Amino acid sequence: MARMLDRFAPLALLLFVLPLFAPLFVSDSYTLHFIWKILFWAALASAWNLAGGYAGQFSLGHAAFFGIGAYTSVLLYLKLGISPWLGMFVGGILAVGFALLIGALTLRLRGAFFALATIAFAEVLRIAVVNLRDLTGGAEGLSVPFAPGLANMMFSGRAGSVVLMAALLLVIALVTFAVERSRLGYALAALKEDEEAAEALGVDTIRAKLISIALSAFVSALGGTAYAFYILLIEPSTVLSIGMSVEMALMAIIGGMGTVLGPAIGAILIVPLSEYLRAEFAGTFQGLYLLVYGAILILMVMFMPNGLMSVVRDPRGTMRRLKRRRRPARGRNGDA
Amino acid sequence: MTAIILQVVVSGLLLGGIYALVSVGLTLIFGVSRIKNFAHGDLVMVGMYVTYALASATKLDPYLLAPLVVVLLFAFGLFLSFALIRPIQGAPQVAQIFATVGLGLVLQNLALMIFGADFRSTASVVSGKVLRFAGLALPASLLIAFLVAMAVIGGLTAFLRLSLTGKAMRAIAQDRRAASLMSIDVKRIDMLTFGLGAACAGLAGALLAPVYPVFPTIGVNLVLVCFVVVVLGGLGSVEGALIGGLLIGLVETLSGFFLGSAMSQIAYFLVFIAVLCLRPAGLFGQRGSETLGS
Repeated sequence: MARMLDRFAPLALLLFVLPLFAPLFVSDSYTLHFIWKILFWAALASAWNLAGGYAGQFSLGHAAFFGIGAYTSVLLYLKLGISPWLGMFVGGILAVGFALLIGALTLRLRGAFFALATIAFAEVLRIAVVNLRDLTGGAEGLSVPFAPGLANMMFSGRAGSVVLMAALLLVIALVTFAVERSRLGYALAALKEDEEAAEALGVDTIRAKLISIALSAFVSALGGTAYAFYILLIEPSTVLSIGMSVEMALMAIIGGMGTVLGPAIGAILIVPLSEYLRAEFAGTFQGLYLLVYGAILILMVMFMPNGLMSVVRDPRGTMRRLKRRRRPARGRNGDA
Repeated sequence: MTAIILQVVVSGLLLGGIYALVSVGLTLIFGVSRIKNFAHGDLVMVGMYVTYALASATKLDPYLLAPLVVVLLFAFGLFLSFALIRPIQGAPQVAQIFATVGLGLVLQNLALMIFGADFRSTASVVSGKVLRFAGLALPASLLIAFLVAMAVIGGLTAFLRLSLTGKAMRAIAQDRRAASLMSIDVKRIDMLTFGLGAACAGLAGALLAPVYPVFPTIGVNLVLVCFVVVVLGGLGSVEGALIGGLLIGLVETLSGFFLGSAMSQIAYFLVFIAVLCLRPAGLFGQRGSETLGS
């Protein structure tokens, strides 16, 4: 089953082409916004997946890259009138710079320590943005006056933004697919499994990690620009928040890290659920959807750490593991 | 000028005592069970809300309710250890990080659903009282928190050194497998440790409730400070949590005084990044704990 799936993986990529045509079939503004949201989270989760899923670098600071993309393109547009199509690449390059800085400083750190360091970097950035009021608009953020036009990346209907987000998702999926099948992909798979062993076999783990986090940061920043010029308001409390970072990781983990399709599957399932919960319990229980997110996250990492994709790839193995779960785990020496 | 600086230093130490109290549970749990509890700040938040709820229900002073809060959080910790922490011991990396991240989300939003997003403050008879001593102003509630923090850290150190259970904890911290071969019930001690860590968080919550108003995401701010303190002091070291807490308190107030409040928030993250990069084992880290990031 798994091998068959891998053989047809190029076909799976076609699934990422379909959303490009969504506006041909849907014209209702609310539905288009809903589709945009799914595509947006699928794109960001896929971006996180490039570093978190493939290299095992569990970042909780990806909001920094996303925010750098959003703030750079918006500032270039507002202050200098530079088109976001150019600004998004400037933001991407700045995000890569920030990612390489984080990567270079935290190379020795693993797992939870890496996650903590990324939180710290993202928080420094958030606090800096809040306090550089003259440039960034502080805590109130920046709003982009609506001026539809292709050059401004703003569209009078929602269809344009949906197509743009679908294209971004397709690009990220193609990058992921290419990485997976490249020498880099094998290096990442090896270092994720056992870093020392990978090094002993001659894998340049430092280079592989830096490339994966740089790629991930670049596409996260592109997502930031696309977000900013659709929502038209960026505030540090949303685009640079820990919540943003956690949600990116959460979608990818629930769908299945280290797979091309997994993050998209996570978004397809989680976004409608959150929309339903938010619409249904908006007045009564405002935090309900995040509570459900948390509960799903706990259950997934406890019982299905490889995400929903593991059910598709290896259904029998997953069932076996679920049953075995009951038996007490044999303790290795700590988790070292 | 020197009087002002002295006052800033004293305020920093008082703040640092609170940070130490909040962090000591985190470092204990990490040292013994190697669990990185990203929900530790949220346990403090739970402690604060429990204090608030009990104080508003019974009209008693929050300080009188502290022992009850500690017992409740201890029980909650035992439950969490059984239901959540034990299954992720030795599980893949992703489970170890994101299970407690998920727990944090659940606790924050449970609090949001029950109490709403408003700031809630718990009044006590000592609220607003300031002791004056040699020209220094010492807010009574901060002073109480500081003194209790010192007592708890002293007590924990003695417990770890002298009691059999404490020695078992230290044995597990050193070598889990060897400890289990010495017929130490590792699972029971793990559970007890998590309960104790949660109880410390509860105590911190009870003592913080009269000082700061509580809101659902206060734990997110706290857990970051905790990790800064604990990594600085050395993961797993109780004495390290004390020194780390005091240092971070001083860094925060001194940088706030000399560089402005924006810098004080950034300062401890910069200290954190510097420590992670230069000496991940921290000042009083256990042998080899810098490799325990995995």
